[in-house]
Amino acid sequence: MLGFIESLLNGILMGSIYGLTAVGLTLIFGVMKVINFAHGSILMVGMYAAYWVVTKTGMNPYLALLVVVPFLFCFGYLLQRFVIKPIFDAEKDVREPITVIIVTTGIWYVLDNLALILFGAEYRVAKTSVTGKMFEFMEMYFLVPKLIGAGITLLCGVYLYWFLKHSRTGKAIRATSLDREAATLMGIKQSQIYNIAFGLGAACCGVAACVLIPFYYVYPTVGVPFDIKAFVIVVLGGLGSIPGAILGGIIIGIIETVGAQFMAATWTELLIYAVFLVVLFVKPSGLFGLRQDF
Amino acid sequence: MKFIFEQPPVVRNLTLLLLAALFLLPTVVTSPTLLQIFILIIFYAYLTSSWNFVGGFAGVLPLGHAAFVGIGAYTSTLLYLTWGISPWIGMLVGGVLSMLVGVIIGLPTLKLRGAYFALATIAVGEGLRVLVENVENFGPFNVRGPKGLLINLVPDAPFSAFQFQSKVPYYYIILVMLLVVLYLTQRMMNSKIGYYLAAGGEEPEAAEALGIKVSRYKLIAMAISCFLTALGGTFYAQMFLYFYPKSIMGLELSYEIAFIALIGGRGTILGPVVGALLLRPVSELTRIYLSSTLPGLHLVIFGLVLIVVMRYQPKGLIAPLRQLFENRIIPRLSRRSARSGAVLPSNND
Repeated sequence: MLGFIESLLNGILMGSIYGLTAVGLTLIFGVMKVINFAHGSILMVGMYAAYWVVTKTGMNPYLALLVVVPFLFCFGYLLQRFVIKPIFDAEKDVREPITVIIVTTGIWYVLDNLALILFGAEYRVAKTSVTGKMFEFMEMYFLVPKLIGAGITLLCGVYLYWFLKHSRTGKAIRATSLDREAATLMGIKQSQIYNIAFGLGAACCGVAACVLIPFYYVYPTVGVPFDIKAFVIVVLGGLGSIPGAILGGIIIGIIETVGAQFMAATWTELLIYAVFLVVLFVKPSGLFGLRQDF
Repeated sequence: MKFIFEQPPVVRNLTLLLLAALFLLPTVVTSPTLLQIFILIIFYAYLTSSWNFVGGFAGVLPLGHAAFVGIGAYTSTLLYLTWGISPWIGMLVGGVLSMLVGVIIGLPTLKLRGAYFALATIAVGEGLRVLVENVENFGPFNVRGPKGLLINLVPDAPFSAFQFQSKVPYYYIILVMLLVVLYLTQRMMNSKIGYYLAAGGEEPEAAEALGIKVSRYKLIAMAISCFLTALGGTFYAQMFLYFYPKSIMGLELSYEIAFIALIGGRGTILGPVVGALLLRPVSELTRIYLSSTLPGLHLVIFGLVLIVVMRYQPKGLIAPLRQLFENRIIPRLSRRSARSGAVLPSNND
């Protein structure tokens, strides 16, 4: 029983980190109606950035947030501004921009394989002050970096939610996601909002990257499993919904960790796809999705 | 073949010349490596043309077609290895099975918007791959999990064994398969289903309002596409005689198929062929010459080509090629044949 609770809690911890990457994805989708297939690759870029910052300067990984997150915001912003925007403009009247989806896939290929060429295929581990530290609570053990990571990601999720609800930029982002034309008529610069939304989506990956780096490997295709999980999570939670993404992330984290108690890890992967398909068949709009969104 | 003869004489003659060249190619190209590259180009053109039925005409983006290649390869090979059933028959069984799976997936998902469909197909494809990788035995069939299947060589193989010493028969088989699928594409484009799909792809609400059951026609397109894709899977299995889940059901193959279609021009007859002709040699050559020093370079090139093409030719490379062909080459050739006393082609623009 204790083992079950332990894995349940561990699932929630890991799931909150999945949730944060999914928040980034869902934010971009909500605003631009584009699935960012390069999302996992952006996470990978963030993890390499965090890895280099931590190993070269010996900086505390959580302090590295201050470097990596702005860097990833700029990375996402520029990626959107200079690579995606020209293509998006060409088909902005199309309700379902497919070309843009494909271009983000192209970006995924380029980034992942560029990382393979530049950094090699080996798995890297960053030794930090918290790496491998365990926290004991009522005979249950938790990795300290996972605990800290979950705390930070939940804070970020809450902050982002508040930001979107109450700040001026956040309101503009929400307005644009509700109705592009009306928002433009209200004087909101649509392209600027897209850039910011994409930057914020990438910044979420930056946070996730920094909290992952003390206990997770980095390798060129590290983004792919996260990417696919993020897709599953956003559909589970409802495309475009931030609370849905966090909750979906936690559900996926729980399935994965609790499932691993009873079956081989590769089977839990299958379980995730099965859950995804069941949700898709039964309630395609997801747990928190709006009906008109799909 | 009627549609070839209905074209203006210049186009008709060029098409026939090209077909003759394709059929005579193995007599000129004797190097097995080179012939293999041609076979792979045609094979990818075939897979992409099959994808095109749903990805090109139904206005959705399937990103899990490798699953159907895998179903085709596994079905025919398992039937052959377990019960000795000829892969030619297994090919059709695999096609039907794949069609059923496609319909089951398509039934709920084709009603959804494109983004959901794309994600659902990824999940199905990856899910199926993980399933096969984890299964050692499936009923009487020995699937062998991630190790994959090896087809034993038959000495003096009869035609029914679907394996050949030389590459030449493979070349002709896949060439005929490609021509058939191109013919079907042409038929479909000019049929009721084709028009309905075109209408449904652009304005689903308007089409529905006119009484067109868009999702039903999308489902038909999906069924055709999955059937044809699975036949390609059997071909792959018999050509290499060895395959494993990652090689044949992986996400990479699914994406490659979609990429080829988009770069060439989806929803057109020759787009997949142009895409395969352009991308396959690039990936083959970089794989052969650079994979040891710079692994992944061919995929970087792949991605960059895709981004650039989508930026400047979002409808794929077939569009500018067709323009070049219609505005430059045909008039020039027509003038030449007119001067030499041939019949002037009717200008049907």
